Amino acid sequence: MSTASVLVAVFSLILGALLALLTIPVLVWLERRIASLIQDRLGPNRTNIFGFRLGGVVQSFADVVKLLLKEEYYPSHIKMGRWLFMLAPVITFSAALLAFMVIPFADTLNIGDEALRIQALPVDFGVLWYLAIGAVGVLGVVYGGWLSHNKYALLGAARAGSMVVSYELPLGLSVLALVVTYNTVDFNAMVQWQSGTFFGFLPAWGILVQPLGGIILIIALFAETNRNPFTVAEGESEIVAGYMTEHTAMKFAMYFMGEYVAMNSASAVIITMLFGGYQLPWVSTEMLLTHFSSFALAVMVVLPVLVGIIIKWMRKNNTVRGSVSTDGGRGFETKVLSSALIIMTLFIEGVFIYLGFFTENILANTLAVALFQIMVFVVKLMLFNIFFIIIRWTVPRFRYDQVQRLGWYYLLPLALLNLLVTAIIVVGVSS
Amino acid sequence: MSQKIKTVKRYGERFQDKLYLPAIYDGVKVTFKHLFDNVTDMNAVDTLEYPEEQPKDISERYRGLHRLTHREDGSEACVACFMCATACPSNCIFIEAEEREDGVDEKRPKSFFIDTLECVFCGYCVEACPCDAIRMDTGIFSLTGNSREDFVMGKEQLLSHKGAFGEENSRART
Repeated sequence: MSTASVLVAVFSLILGALLALLTIPVLVWLERRIASLIQDRLGPNRTNIFGFRLGGVVQSFADVVKLLLKEEYYPSHIKMGRWLFMLAPVITFSAALLAFMVIPFADTLNIGDEALRIQALPVDFGVLWYLAIGAVGVLGVVYGGWLSHNKYALLGAARAGSMVVSYELPLGLSVLALVVTYNTVDFNAMVQWQSGTFFGFLPAWGILVQPLGGIILIIALFAETNRNPFTVAEGESEIVAGYMTEHTAMKFAMYFMGEYVAMNSASAVIITMLFGGYQLPWVSTEMLLTHFSSFALAVMVVLPVLVGIIIKWMRKNNTVRGSVSTDGGRGFETKVLSSALIIMTLFIEGVFIYLGFFTENILANTLAVALFQIMVFVVKLMLFNIFFIIIRWTVPRFRYDQVQRLGWYYLLPLALLNLLVTAIIVVGVSS
Repeated sequence: MSQKIKTVKRYGERFQDKLYLPAIYDGVKVTFKHLFDNVTDMNAVDTLEYPEEQPKDISERYRGLHRLTHREDGSEACVACFMCATACPSNCIFIEAEEREDGVDEKRPKSFFIDTLECVFCGYCVEACPCDAIRMDTGIFSLTGNSREDFVMGKEQLLSHKGAFGEENSRART
């Protein structure tokens, strides 16, 4: 155990925890803002700290404070299984959190003669871990609903159970087809496989190599995260809040946050298995390292353009209409954020000028590439989360028997067919 | 006798419909267009940023907070006839009458209270008033206070409200 390996392990763990937990308020905010912008409203944009509203993200933190300070109400009619009733939200939340921990955030670091994984849990059986832990999440839902001793909660839990039988098989089979294609159960090896090209010009992304399996996987993961169009475990108009009817304050918040962590994990798995993970199309890690100066030049050109677009957008949109007398500190906020962004850009430019043209430090280059890949991963993750949210606010819900019909009559045979065809092709190509 | 039977065409039987994904694509196109338009120009979103922005569409017919009108000489137009209190469906108008000594009229309210927490803003009092002494044309739509007593409007307060659409004085007997 060298110092470098310990440092990388701690860094990866912290990064994993931050990416899973700190994205919750951002995702809640994104959900509310995107929902309202789709519906031609504005959404939460008022809450601020010293005039800094960051587009309204602060609202989520205010919500957390409110939920923490709420009365911890405990329904008195629950006589048996109190501890499991209290534990159920924790099961759901921690299952979603643990499932996220095997996602590689950047390519394996080669420092000295060690290969260090940038994964919160550095294991090489990530797919199996995700399938195993991801399926535990529904146990929390079922326990919570069952032990609530409430018919709505019980119905919600039963529906959640029916969901599991509907989607688990297609999910497993589509993942199996991908495993056969990549010939590995290691997420990082999958990403490395996808950095090549396909037919000479297409990036070898899973969604292009395995279009049917990819779509089935995406649909099944939508079902696993309990999000639209598969929100059958809760339904305001039919079964109140479903399995979380009797859960209040932080117990409810655990379920609520677990849903967003699960969505985050599902996005991470989708981009890792189907959309090239932390890599840009056509660009593999070795390519970045060997052509480091051109990579540095590309970053130095693209970054100011992006920052310029962000600042221009902020100056246009972080304002109020002419008819409003006060801008509520928005002008000041725009100035501060713009200066912060410009200083950050200048700093990164300086670092890349030094690394790209004045030194030949392999270690520093490796670290810079790893950080760049983490950024690419986060951007892709957020884009896919936004896709999840847009789907939620576009598509009406399935009835739960329709979900079962979809899973058993359509997705399962298709996934089996896909697996068969994949296996034949893989055997044919390799022999 | 042949019955008129109209066969309603059922949708969703084609393969394309059953595939469901093209429909999702069409839906996402619509929602994404809204999202993109609104993100690129937030200020074009047609919402009223209350309270910084106040509504501008309050018309003359809007029934806002009540007011008591004045005569030409500046005294109150009310003659304490109790018509409004009688017409009031929620019994929120409380009038105490007294004799008017200045010769302008015979009677006037000694006290005139409207409990705006009880009031349903139906406007019957305005309809009932024979002297055009009570009106609801102040354009005030938001009423705030720290206690229940703050919402009980007295005579002085009601007389101090200004009409938002001209016509300051009572139009009766002119």
